[in-house]
Amino acid sequence: MPNHALLNNVDHKHLRVITARGAAYGDAVMSALTFPAEFRELQAHYPIVFAKSEDGTSFDALALFGFQQGENLFLDERDGAARWDAPTIPLSVERQPFLIGRGGEELSIHIDMDHPRVARDGVGAGEGAHESEALFLTYGGTSEYLERIASVLRTLHDGLDAARGFTAVLLELELLESFVLDVELDDGSQNRLGGFYTIHEERLLSLSGEQLERLNRAGYLQAIYMAVASLSQFRGLIDRKNRAHAHAR
Amino acid sequence: MSNTIEHIVVVGGGSAGWLVAAVIAAEHRHLRVTLVESPGVPPIGVGEGTWPSMRDTLHRVGVSESDFFRECDAAFKQGSRFDRWVDGRAGDYYFHPFVLPQGYGDANLAAAWRDQHRNVPFADLVSFQPHLCARGRAPKQAQTPEFAAVANYGYHLDAGKFGVFLRRHCVDKLGVRHVADHVDAVLSEENGDIAALRLREQGLLAGDLFVDCTGMQALLLGGHYGVPLLAQKHVLFNDSALAVQVPYPAPDSPIASQTTSTAQRAGWIWDIGLPTRRGIGHVYSSAHTSDEEAERALRAYVLETGGPADVSPRKLGFDPGYRERFWHRNCVAIGLSAGFIEPLEASALALVEMSAAWLADDLPATRAQLDVVAARFNEAFTYRWERVIEFLKLHYVLSKRSDGPFWIEHREAASVPDRLRELLDLWRTRPPSRRDFPRIEEVFPSASYQYILYGMGHAPEGAARASDLPQEADRHFREAARLTERMLPALPSNRELLAHIARHGMPRI
Repeated sequence: MPNHALLNNVDHKHLRVITARGAAYGDAVMSALTFPAEFRELQAHYPIVFAKSEDGTSFDALALFGFQQGENLFLDERDGAARWDAPTIPLSVERQPFLIGRGGEELSIHIDMDHPRVARDGVGAGEGAHESEALFLTYGGTSEYLERIASVLRTLHDGLDAARGFTAVLLELELLESFVLDVELDDGSQNRLGGFYTIHEERLLSLSGEQLERLNRAGYLQAIYMAVASLSQFRGLIDRKNRAHAHAR
Repeated sequence: MSNTIEHIVVVGGGSAGWLVAAVIAAEHRHLRVTLVESPGVPPIGVGEGTWPSMRDTLHRVGVSESDFFRECDAAFKQGSRFDRWVDGRAGDYYFHPFVLPQGYGDANLAAAWRDQHRNVPFADLVSFQPHLCARGRAPKQAQTPEFAAVANYGYHLDAGKFGVFLRRHCVDKLGVRHVADHVDAVLSEENGDIAALRLREQGLLAGDLFVDCTGMQALLLGGHYGVPLLAQKHVLFNDSALAVQVPYPAPDSPIASQTTSTAQRAGWIWDIGLPTRRGIGHVYSSAHTSDEEAERALRAYVLETGGPADVSPRKLGFDPGYRERFWHRNCVAIGLSAGFIEPLEASALALVEMSAAWLADDLPATRAQLDVVAARFNEAFTYRWERVIEFLKLHYVLSKRSDGPFWIEHREAASVPDRLRELLDLWRTRPPSRRDFPRIEEVFPSASYQYILYGMGHAPEGAARASDLPQEADRHFREAARLTERMLPALPSNRELLAHIARHGMPRI
């Protein structure tokens, strides 16, 4: 259950946040929100797909880490030391356990006190010396880590805002279509990934010059092609799944 | 008129005329389609239920389902519930849902129901849809795209608004020409074909093929050509209706998922829930009850079901029957002009859809082809009307009600078509099968007959057979129960979903 608190250097002076990766810290998720400006970096490692919101009125862009709920094939947890096997992690994952809250006109940083990443100074979060960062300095100033988090949150906030306009235009130009991915693993087992959407490449190819110009000027055209390019990462994801299956036996 | 058929003239608006115009215009972009309707004539307001085929028809002509819901005051219809048709006691009900029974065709569901689950209503056992209806659930979710379904559905709609909606789409998007004028005379070619119509204000309107959608008056097929109506009153006695529109008790009153038909002493009462009101009507036989009695029963029903005391019913008389032929020379009748029977299974709009699709798909290209096409159309639709008559008669002939001569006479052999009598005899010892309805496009599939037969308690007798597969049947019953369990919590109520659609529409993908 989330337990959000407005971050301040009095109540939270001694808080440390665990920055190690791992299922214990909430990383065992199948996907994470992303946004157009991030597509370029992420497409080199993750398939980018779209999912319909629950009330059916909008779409979210997601980076995929696995084929079913709770499956993160980038989490490598052998020999007790966990790592995220990719050089870049989506900002919506990196910002955990923080989030932006609105207090009137101001945007401010909040922290989910019940998140497994939150550790109090001196109170360990499990055995061993897990990587962790302090939030505040001795005299109350913000740590370099927290400054980075603030920047991540701002970028994420603006990015998700822009994503709304982006997906609305995709819908308007009918550039999204549903797809189903049938995956056959090396051991012969069949899996199906469904319920997601991807760029409708046929319609993309038949856009008029005027429509292409409009997309380009808005900065959307590049994001569209980055999303298309990201689909070749399904091959890598399937390889990861095969390896994970092989190790499990 | 030239040899090629280039100009289609639809006479009469309303849902029939505009549906026909839309389907033809959407299919034949190069043809000219003109619809002429009298500016003052109001369309009949009773045609308010559709089958699931209407989703395909609307999709085919290119309308948005979101727009349709918003502009036609539409709701979802998942089938019909028949109350008090078997013996008239309270608790006497059965469903005829749109979804086929789970595993239909894989095993003898009827035998397994009879042998192991006789205390459970047949439809409730073989399908999740009666359970969705019992809880007022919608047949899809907010995220389900336009025209897609979680549970197969048709519509309840305001027929007047539907005609206006289709008219706008025809004129704005499909290039149909709309002429508002009265038809004063029908002018003939030398060979007897219709050459043109003389309009009151605008002179002559010539055409190659004329579609008579003028309703019960059948101006062209009946009035001009004199093609007679084959009366069916001796089979289906009802010839009158009293209709009212009734408000809900509260703005958040639940909207029903199905059409409810409640049997009465000499007829039955329909109850159709739209978002803003309920359409309620008493269909009855004037030979078996009086208008006053019928009105009393209608008022009583309205009060019993939460409606007000002050309602002003509108009376409608009709001659149950269908035309000896529907297509004569270059004139084809579609809609009430082709025939009318009581709306017990909402077949009127379904027949309009089938006729429009048939016409659009097999439209003759030349006058030379026309007679062959007309003969085939007549044969196909005579077959269909006969099947509709039989299917409706089935509801009456299986009843055990004896509270009045109406019900007793419905079971007299003279009033039962031969083919139905023969089939009923066969169905005493085996379920209806696909071979009983062999045509590619039947009006009602064999499954529908099973829903009525077993809903009314007529389980087949007979020894077990190798293909019965009772364990398979049981597996399907459990699958239906499993689907019910999964769907019930996942589906919104009708009112919730309709409110959402009013604000946000439905997603296109």
